[in-house]
Amino acid sequence: MVFWILIAVMTAAAALSVLVPMSRARRSQDGPSGNADEAVYRDQLSAIEAELKRGLIEPEAAGAARTEIARRLLNAHDNHEREAGRISQAPRLKFVQGLALFALPAVAVGLYLFFGAPDVPDAPLAARLQAPAEEQSVDILVARVERHLAENPEDGQGWVVIAPVYLSIGRAQDSARAYAQAIRLLGPRQDWLTDMGEAMVIANQGLVPAEARQAFEQAAAMDASAVKPRFFLAIALGQEGRKSEAIEAWRNLIAGADGTEAWLGAARNELAELAGADGQSDRTSQTLAPRGPSQEDVAASQDMSPVDRQAMIRSMVSGLAERLADEGGSVSEWGQLMQAYVVLGEMQSAENALEDAQAAFADKPEDLSSIKDAARQLGLTGS
Amino acid sequence: MIVEFGHYALVLAFALSLVQSVVPLWGALARDDRLMAVAAPVSVTTFIMVLLSFAVLTNAYLTADFSVLNVLENSHSAKPLVYKFTGVWGNHEGSMLLWVLILVFFGALVGFFGGNLPKDLRAATLAVQGWISAGFILFLLATSNPFARVANPPLEGADLNPILQDIGLAIHPPLLYVGYVGFSITFSFAVAALILGRTDAAWARWVRPWTLLAWSFLTLGIAMGSYWAYYELGWGGWWFWDPVENASLMPWLAGTALLHSAIVMERREALKIWTILLAIFTFSLSLLGTFLVRSGVLTSVHAFATDPTRGVFILALLCFFIGGSLALYAWRAPALKQGGLFAPISREGALVLNNLFLTSACAAVFVGTLYPLFLDAVTGEKISVGAPFFNLTFGPLMVPLLIAVPFGPVLSWKRGDLLAASQRLYAAFGLAILMTVFTFWLWGMDMVLAPLGVGLAVWVMAGAVAEILTRVKILEIGPSRAFSRLIGLPGSAWGTSMAHFGVGVTVLGIVTASAFQEERIATVRPGDVVELSGYQLTFDGAAPRRGPNFTEEVGHFTIRQGGIFVAELDPSKRVYTARQMPTTEAAIHTTGFSQLYLSLGESRGDGAVDVRVYFKPLITLIWIGCVIMALGGAVSIADRRLRVGAPKPARKRKSAAPAPAE
Repeated sequence: MVFWILIAVMTAAAALSVLVPMSRARRSQDGPSGNADEAVYRDQLSAIEAELKRGLIEPEAAGAARTEIARRLLNAHDNHEREAGRISQAPRLKFVQGLALFALPAVAVGLYLFFGAPDVPDAPLAARLQAPAEEQSVDILVARVERHLAENPEDGQGWVVIAPVYLSIGRAQDSARAYAQAIRLLGPRQDWLTDMGEAMVIANQGLVPAEARQAFEQAAAMDASAVKPRFFLAIALGQEGRKSEAIEAWRNLIAGADGTEAWLGAARNELAELAGADGQSDRTSQTLAPRGPSQEDVAASQDMSPVDRQAMIRSMVSGLAERLADEGGSVSEWGQLMQAYVVLGEMQSAENALEDAQAAFADKPEDLSSIKDAARQLGLTGS
Repeated sequence: MIVEFGHYALVLAFALSLVQSVVPLWGALARDDRLMAVAAPVSVTTFIMVLLSFAVLTNAYLTADFSVLNVLENSHSAKPLVYKFTGVWGNHEGSMLLWVLILVFFGALVGFFGGNLPKDLRAATLAVQGWISAGFILFLLATSNPFARVANPPLEGADLNPILQDIGLAIHPPLLYVGYVGFSITFSFAVAALILGRTDAAWARWVRPWTLLAWSFLTLGIAMGSYWAYYELGWGGWWFWDPVENASLMPWLAGTALLHSAIVMERREALKIWTILLAIFTFSLSLLGTFLVRSGVLTSVHAFATDPTRGVFILALLCFFIGGSLALYAWRAPALKQGGLFAPISREGALVLNNLFLTSACAAVFVGTLYPLFLDAVTGEKISVGAPFFNLTFGPLMVPLLIAVPFGPVLSWKRGDLLAASQRLYAAFGLAILMTVFTFWLWGMDMVLAPLGVGLAVWVMAGAVAEILTRVKILEIGPSRAFSRLIGLPGSAWGTSMAHFGVGVTVLGIVTASAFQEERIATVRPGDVVELSGYQLTFDGAAPRRGPNFTEEVGHFTIRQGGIFVAELDPSKRVYTARQMPTTEAAIHTTGFSQLYLSLGESRGDGAVDVRVYFKPLITLIWIGCVIMALGGAVSIADRRLRVGAPKPARKRKSAAPAPAE
């Protein structure tokens, strides 16, 4: 409301700047051009006199110049005699007054409503950052902490606060860096080292990089009972192709579990994977872990943080994909794989899975059509 | 809300300029005092409105209000305060708003200080100024609105183009714009004169201060831009014949010609039609410069935004103003009375000569700038017209002009005596010959043109001094009486001499800096010494450093001369983090008028780095000369005769008193 009042005041001031001078103007006696030019010529005449006195101009040249200027002066004077200022007759004045009173505000407000955005509030950065925390989005809270840390980079506790937040908003790289700062400033702690490693793994698309491995090793060394670093170390061993060590690590982990842990399903899966590929225990792994995520696994995954869950789904999906590629599987298993890819947003992988499935069931028309049905429901093109 | 307030002020300014475009002109044609009286107050109100909107935009930059699209795209919260401020015009929308602000500022100046003008001329001039304002405010609102909003702004902006984060940017565009846009007033005066059919000696007198003002600022703006390019681009060059530079040089040349032809018109009431045409051309060239730079026809540092709709809009404005004024000229000019005739050897003859050379030079620059664009548009062939073309066309045109400069002011009006004039310049001529010979002796005969160039520069400078001395007849009356006469000389005489002296100074700088420059390009490791022009530059190593919004690699050099410590120089290469854009920061050591210029190149690893070192003798004279020219302009404006007919202060106060609303 204040805004519109101010706008009304401004508009009124603009209109007055047209109306007031018109009403104040008096008819001038000496015509619209006044005697301004006569003044200029008189001054030119006196300048000639001054130059003559200084000897800068010859007397005869001065005389000629004087005649020239005098002629201009006379001309100007004659012109003024003919002109005389007029004062507006009613219709002309009324028209301009109408212009100022109606057209001016109409044009201004009309154009403003067209171009402007009166309902968008100002948003100076300082005010946005100072707004009460519950009204702010995560982005702003993060920016606030970042701003604080930019000014006080030695505040280890600040880095501890922001690191997990980074991970939860998908900035894994920044999270790892924040943990590293915290560790640098406050000294290593098992959980920070582990979380830093985890962030690095996530930033690295699920593969365990060397620095992350070192972090997990350091964490495991600090607290031998901690499960999480050992979990990741086991994954790392598997990724490095050191199967027997990996199987050993997983068995140790599972042996130490009391059977209620959320990660147990994933661990069993990994173990089954490694054991299966190794050909060591052929179908015995089936008894250890069911194929595909069981109800139990799903329930476990719901207890995990979103990041853990994502990692777990990924490891399960890749396990399923490998098994189907190596040994083949049922129609519903192929359907599961496609669906998993679609859920993860990896459409290209889903399409590839569909192609593989079609190839696998090429000689079974009934199964082939149910694969195609499933694909259609998932929105895959099958091209 | 504050932002929208500024937006409304801009829209209101548009509506007001429509009123300003119509009512005063109607009044001037109908000789209606009441309607003419509207002109001055409305021009002031329009200025206040645009000033308000500019202040609001500045405030948005200072408070980092990223809900304004323009701020979001061109600012960053970590930017140093001064660049938050100058960043307002470091982008297309903001710089156009500054352009409009200066445009209406000139309108307001005429409204405020134009009391000595005839009412009809003032009203018509302000009306024409109103057309230009309306056109450009509409351009802003429709195609480049600085107040466009963002509903859910992100927390950080895209930062200002790092090459523009420099204190030079803080000064260069406003100066240049005051110059560019200042010529809008002479244009408006010319069009008003054509409409009213009033072109006489008095008109030339009234236009002169405005031309001088615009010209002085344009001179400073060009010099500033040149110096900025010199130290920021890291190539050591001070003029590149870049189309954007040419775009500012063309109005300067035309404006200089206008300044001189207006003197003839004022004194002899001759060259009237030509002066009016020059006034139209000068601003047209300013508009052309704006079009070239803003439309994206040229890609350069200055092409902040390339958007075809903007280009088309400016082109339409250009056609309207240039085409319209030339059509009006074609229609009205034949009706104007021709002025008196004059002999070729006379002051006015010399001024005509000046105009011939200046306009030819302007045409050469015009062709060199626009021909490649034209060729590209018509045949698709891409050519580049560079320094060789301009050196071959612009250079030879300048030489005879410079030779003639000292003659102009010592020739008398109407019928001059070349012999008598030459006698007054004997001393200057002798000094020029002496300096030429001295330069030959100093540098040997292998460079022929450079000593002649030095001689030419000395000739212009000494000629300017000789002119002042002959004016007071120092030889006839002795120094003590001459001194009192010196003080009594009118400002315009001092201005002429200073400006001409400045031209000589600039020419001297150009000649020495380009002919006697020394250059060395080397790859150095810590401890290496580069030898140049008697200086030993020791590279002490390079180290990284963090600035507020950039990181840089700083090289540290110790400069010694014959083993004696002279200075430490830290050239650097910066990377601005927000845009990941590298820039070069040259380090410059000034000794006297000469400069040692150091710029870092590529890093070679293992601590080695490429470095370019220049020694540029007397290079600062180039810009010092420009400053002297601009000061000459200022002194000339101060001439009391330019205010003849201005209302006495007492009367003015009365009429300016706040009026009660009726």
